[in-house]
Amino acid sequence: MTRTRTVGGVRGERDRIYVPYLLPALLIYTVLFIAPSAVTIWYSFTRWEGLGTPARFTGLANYRAMLTNPVFLTAFRNTLILVVLGGVFVFALTFLTMIVVREMRGRAFVRSVLFVPSILSPIAIGTAVGFLLNPDGALNRLLSDVGLHTLTRGWLGPDLIFKCIIAAVVWTATGFYVAIMMSRVDAIPEELYESARLAGANRVEQFRYLTFPLSRDAFSTGAVLWVIGSVKTFEIVIAFTGTAGTPPVQARSAAVEQYLAVTGGISGTPQLGSAAAVGVVMFLLTAVLVVTLRRLLRSEVVEL
Amino acid sequence: MSPVADKLATSGAPSGPAPVSAGARPARGRRPIDRLDTLLGGAVRAGLWLWVGMLVVLTLWVVVSSLKTTREIFADPFGLPKSPQWRNYSVAWSVSGFGRAAFSSVVVVAAAAVLTMVLATPASYVLARSDRRSASRVVTYFAVGMGIPAQALVVPFFLMSNDLSTFMTEWVTGWWDDRISLVLIYIVLSLPFTVYLLTMYFRSLPTEIEEAAAVDGAGPTRTFVQIMVPLARHGLVTALVLNTVALWNETLFVLVVVGDPQQRTLPATLLGLYESMQYTSNWGGLFAGIVILVMPMILLYLWAGRRIVQAMTQGALK
Repeated sequence: MTRTRTVGGVRGERDRIYVPYLLPALLIYTVLFIAPSAVTIWYSFTRWEGLGTPARFTGLANYRAMLTNPVFLTAFRNTLILVVLGGVFVFALTFLTMIVVREMRGRAFVRSVLFVPSILSPIAIGTAVGFLLNPDGALNRLLSDVGLHTLTRGWLGPDLIFKCIIAAVVWTATGFYVAIMMSRVDAIPEELYESARLAGANRVEQFRYLTFPLSRDAFSTGAVLWVIGSVKTFEIVIAFTGTAGTPPVQARSAAVEQYLAVTGGISGTPQLGSAAAVGVVMFLLTAVLVVTLRRLLRSEVVEL
Repeated sequence: MSPVADKLATSGAPSGPAPVSAGARPARGRRPIDRLDTLLGGAVRAGLWLWVGMLVVLTLWVVVSSLKTTREIFADPFGLPKSPQWRNYSVAWSVSGFGRAAFSSVVVVAAAAVLTMVLATPASYVLARSDRRSASRVVTYFAVGMGIPAQALVVPFFLMSNDLSTFMTEWVTGWWDDRISLVLIYIVLSLPFTVYLLTMYFRSLPTEIEEAAAVDGAGPTRTFVQIMVPLARHGLVTALVLNTVALWNETLFVLVVVGDPQQRTLPATLLGLYESMQYTSNWGGLFAGIVILVMPMILLYLWAGRRIVQAMTQGALK
């Protein structure tokens, strides 16, 4: 008997725990995440008005209805606008911030404040901002007080509400993407910026030829995260309108529409089949957008 | 010369009108474009400070409003209260149910975050260390879950939690608490990201120490518990914090799964109070509720801000 073992023996021993260590997580994930996702696809082909009623197979009826029902179409259009237009704004602001924030005074403070909204509940943010934007709320009051009566609006009225929601999302979400990009930028050696300055490159040029190429991989990760996150936009909408029951149609995102279908909304009759179909379409939307982004942003990695 | 500096030099970044002679030229204000650049820099800096200012002012405004009477909130939305209404907090805590909800939030989030780690840590360890061909496929299989939106799971989770509640009440325990279903759902939702993140983290740790431990006679279980878990503590805390922040703010599944409003967590309780405002009109209490919901996250941020930012960005970039 000897107590010395070879490294190969160690690998063999470690292999013994492979299955018992992995199995619980793998089983739970498979049974409670992957299988239900697949079951959702099946439900999306049925008409089902809630517990206690039978689910009837109706083929593609839910999907066809989605294409013709103006309420669903508005919800999906809103989600798409939020993802694309909101994304353009978020990353435009992120890039502008990146141009100056590296060397401005108070940069640590600015960066840490911009990040705060990403850890706060969108319900809290939506409630506070929604209150400011009420017809007789604080913003309109402030505008009239400083003599800008003409700018007072029904911010939460049908025309403006979704624009306000996009603005609120951009305003609160951008700090997170600034942090992601800057964590890469922080790793760029200062000498590179020095030689760029010596060569006469101004700030925008430094961004274009140095900062951006060296943080490109963070940008493509950030863009994918934005898509995955923004397709699901839900909380801020219901908090903005203060009504989980029935936010106005113009303000609804796909996720809100799905929530109304599960809980029954005003009609009180759940539409589980169409709720499942909305979930499937949201998954497809995410997948298509992520794959497209990956294609668009694929590039050779720049080595330092 | 590094490839980047090379690229910088050859791509003609500073293509001014005069031929470039590095070092001889002042960095700024030579070309009109540089003056424009300085102007843009100033404008962006001003914009950034305005943005930061609005975030700070909004936060302070919520805190100040939480100490005002409803009349003051509407009569003078940006003024200070005559005398601070601490009552708003006691009313929100006991009458509007924020005390109960805070308890639900703490218990549900803590249970789900810890149990997620208990499941994900051993799995990630063996996935990171195994030579089996299946290991990398399993990692990809978990990663797929990160791209599936929670909305794809709303309907089955709604049905399953109903069935579970009925089954337990009628056959097993005689009672059920929807918050237990919520904990299960949170664990499931946190698993893909946590397993993926921790696998990457374990892979980044050196293997020599555990091999030395094994040669010294420690079995694989002991090596894992006594050596690898303490060694990986930084990554484990990162994952724990990320899941805690995400779950603390989660609202959709609380609304869908927990039927009894008295059992709901803080975000859903705030939403419920906001909806009832047209009947109760205790607006000071509503703002107190906002403060109760966000305060733990703000404190966490003040205490460990840099680590949270690091965790969230590096978690994303892994």
